Amino acid sequence: MAFPKELIRNFCIIAHIDHGKSTLADRLMQLTQTVAERDMEEQLLDSMDIERERGITIKSTAVRMFYTARDGKEYMLNLIDTPGHVDFTYEVSRALAACEGAVLVVDATQGIEAQTLANVYLALDNDLEIIPVINKIDLVSADPENAIHEIEDIIGLPAEDAPKISAKTGLNVEEVLERIVTDIPAPKGDSEAPLKALIFDSLYDNYMGALSYVRVMEGTVRPGDRIRFMHSGSEFDVTEVGVFNPSRLPVRELTAGEVGYISASIKSVAETKVGDTITLANNPAKEPLHGYKQANPMVFCGIYPADGADYEALKEALDKLILNDASISYEPETSQALGYGFRCGFLGLLHMEIAEERLEREFDLDLVTTAPSVIYRVVMLDGSVRMIDNPSNLPSPMEIQRMEEPMVMAHIMTPPEFVGSIMELCQEKRGFFLDMTYLEENRVKLSYRMPLNEIIFDFFDGLKSRSRGYASFDYELGEYEQSDLVKLDFLLNGDMCDALSTIVHRDKAYAKGRAVAEKLQEVIPRQQFEIPIQAAIGGKIIARETVRAVRKDVLAKCYGGDITRKKKLLEKQKEGKKRMRQVGTVSVPSDAFMSVLRIN
Amino acid sequence: MSGLYIHIPFCKRKCRYCDFVSFPDFASEDIYFVALIAEMRKYAPLMRGRGFGTVFIGGGTPTCLKPGRIAAMLDEARKCFDIAPDAEITSEANPESASEEKLAELFEAGVNRLSIGLQSANDLELARIGRIHSRADFERALAFARRAGFTNINADVMHGLPGQTCESYLNTLRFVTELDIPHISSYALILEEGTPLYGAVKEGREELPDPDETADMEDAGFAFLAENGYGRYEISNFAKPSFECRHNLNYWDNGEYLGIGLNSHSALRLKGEWTRFCNTAVLSEYVSELGEGKLPVRDTRRIERDEEMFESIMLGLRKTEGISRADFEARFGVDPVTHYAPAVSELELDGRLIVTEERMYLTGAGLDFQNEALIKFMES
Repeated sequence: MAFPKELIRNFCIIAHIDHGKSTLADRLMQLTQTVAERDMEEQLLDSMDIERERGITIKSTAVRMFYTARDGKEYMLNLIDTPGHVDFTYEVSRALAACEGAVLVVDATQGIEAQTLANVYLALDNDLEIIPVINKIDLVSADPENAIHEIEDIIGLPAEDAPKISAKTGLNVEEVLERIVTDIPAPKGDSEAPLKALIFDSLYDNYMGALSYVRVMEGTVRPGDRIRFMHSGSEFDVTEVGVFNPSRLPVRELTAGEVGYISASIKSVAETKVGDTITLANNPAKEPLHGYKQANPMVFCGIYPADGADYEALKEALDKLILNDASISYEPETSQALGYGFRCGFLGLLHMEIAEERLEREFDLDLVTTAPSVIYRVVMLDGSVRMIDNPSNLPSPMEIQRMEEPMVMAHIMTPPEFVGSIMELCQEKRGFFLDMTYLEENRVKLSYRMPLNEIIFDFFDGLKSRSRGYASFDYELGEYEQSDLVKLDFLLNGDMCDALSTIVHRDKAYAKGRAVAEKLQEVIPRQQFEIPIQAAIGGKIIARETVRAVRKDVLAKCYGGDITRKKKLLEKQKEGKKRMRQVGTVSVPSDAFMSVLRIN
Repeated sequence: MSGLYIHIPFCKRKCRYCDFVSFPDFASEDIYFVALIAEMRKYAPLMRGRGFGTVFIGGGTPTCLKPGRIAAMLDEARKCFDIAPDAEITSEANPESASEEKLAELFEAGVNRLSIGLQSANDLELARIGRIHSRADFERALAFARRAGFTNINADVMHGLPGQTCESYLNTLRFVTELDIPHISSYALILEEGTPLYGAVKEGREELPDPDETADMEDAGFAFLAENGYGRYEISNFAKPSFECRHNLNYWDNGEYLGIGLNSHSALRLKGEWTRFCNTAVLSEYVSELGEGKLPVRDTRRIERDEEMFESIMLGLRKTEGISRADFEARFGVDPVTHYAPAVSELELDGRLIVTEERMYLTGAGLDFQNEALIKFMES
């Protein structure tokens, strides 16, 4: 028997990183006895180590809770967790589309941040009921009144009766549950209508294959049904449906208004795309739910094993990684300097960093990553267009009519005292100033049109350091624009090192060339001959450094018969040699390729 | 013949670059020697039938001990071990504590080779590395040594010191050669992690000469020694003919040796197996375990034949005369030149290694990059 729809509440939590989303989710689960205290791992929803360490949620998850409200009725609350980063806006929008309401968590010590605002707007676009909650009121520095003002002034939501809570101590958290029940509408939808289930996430399970996490909007789905993915067109037989409590629990059916998973022996998450609509093959819905789009990688880089012998291991790891994250693209590529590796595409910079970290941590690999690149649009002399995501593949300037680069709309929120230095940063990053608004006395919103290739490097770090961590940042993709771009190459002892080539704006080429050459001079160890390092645009050398020749090895003494030290030193040097890449005659440590990425 | 090493872990003050096991804890001197003697007695039955051709008393500072200590210790060593009558018996000494009485006592006790830590003949350089003696102290100590009867004398010197120049290093060498000291060890300073000097350099409070300057010092200094009749017989060791240190040569021949005392190292063939081990570096453990009748041994490792072979290469190629092919073949049943053929031919081609009917040895250029040469042997 289906749970009465009027007693279901589907909601998500919107919060900035560190504002306490996961902690609040934990408290809600505790209060509803969804997890026993002793099973409670800190911040249970974030199941990946990296998420827990970085305090952010990458993959959304869902939890079903039962709560007996003050009206005496038992409600089913489905919490749909959303990823909290700018790279995953589309995933967030689908998770929001699966809900009727959102709990907006604002840190009473910090106020509203740019990404929160972006997500609130997304929620409003999806007609969600928003319940503001002021968190961290147990802290001495808490200023709940200011947070309330910000919510009212910036978002325009009444917030004077927002629950003031401490997710950490549990103070007033029950009030949040009550508000979810009273303020958020019950789901609509007809359980007898043709099935429409929105995929808001997917996950690969070693035993069950790819699972679709769905919100059933219309109709009912049961094991044995033949389902169709309306955008991809593929069909499967349902083997299991279930809910999250928070671990997976099989149920007889999922009907309109409910949240759960569908298992259908699907081999890869690439088949269960977020935003797609699942319907029944023999009684299909007329049209899919709106809002589907294909998530395309925006940022590309080469990923190589630090030890060339690990190529196969890297390939296997990538195969496994995309089982769970279909938004990563990869194809084999070869670099003269780095050997065999892969060109990988990501939704954004954070997405890239997280993928690299997962590869290194979960698959125990040592990686070398080349500088991230965006996709450039190259218009050739004959009018044909090439999309280039690897600087090494850029055609000769002689054949190019013009080059275009992708732009973004960047929104930065900051306390007013940092506006000056942030504007400077944006200018340095070739930003076009669009707008500056005082959202309220203590918060300014800056809007810039900026090249994506400028923000994929160190924009975020720069922003944080110039605002002592107070500024926050969000962007959306814009159009391609013509730009005066050049390919910057580096030569080591006369041999070009393809893995170091980057595409930069002509005005920045000299400074960048000099900075990278200097850095290389630091990180390339002295060898038995002198190594000239040159930065070049086309054939023209724009900067030069030299690594002087080393004259002698360190002559280790043999200490009173202790030869183990000497042996260890040699072993270490031998291991170090394995991590060296040969660029022509020059041995370059794998780390060197990474360290040149971190140049200010 | 085997070597016997005895470690004296006491120093008046620790030098700023030193990472040996030594400390100024003289309150523990008596108890240490009770343990040390117990250790020798414990080894005595195990060493029966083995002859010792050399003894080396190292430190620390053996000359800073109570009177009579070294003599008593050597007496006990002779009781426990079969030490050859013509054994080379070396003691280290530091100028500040090498008094006339002390050196006479050492000589009386049978010490016939003295290794004095000079490091530099420039008092400012000495101060910067935390040495507590002067150039004049060294001259005095040397005079006492000769008066006591020592002729086989080594001076330890260093290059690459803070504030040192090529000129001042050559002055140090000139000072030593003019004093007609027959053996000189000249090591490049190695900045060891955890030492005060290491901290000072990392924090920018102290500066070392850059590697090129140090290389210049070495080239100039070693040429100077050659001109003055000192043969380079090992990477960092120079001697007038017949004054080579036999104890150290045994190390470089990958010979057997027994280490006695705190954190001393041993290499012995035990029941046919090449074995290395060392003693604890913790004084309290050393004392209490020997008190309980146990040997305070740590890190015992049976060395496989391949590794033993590589050790012989690693150590043997430190010597300028290199490795005897016949000796190597007698020990391992293979000719090193064929066994390590890829490394040997590559290094020969580069002019870093010379192979003759009898021997293979590194050239000057080969010795400059000994580590790299050894890695090639490791990989071949």
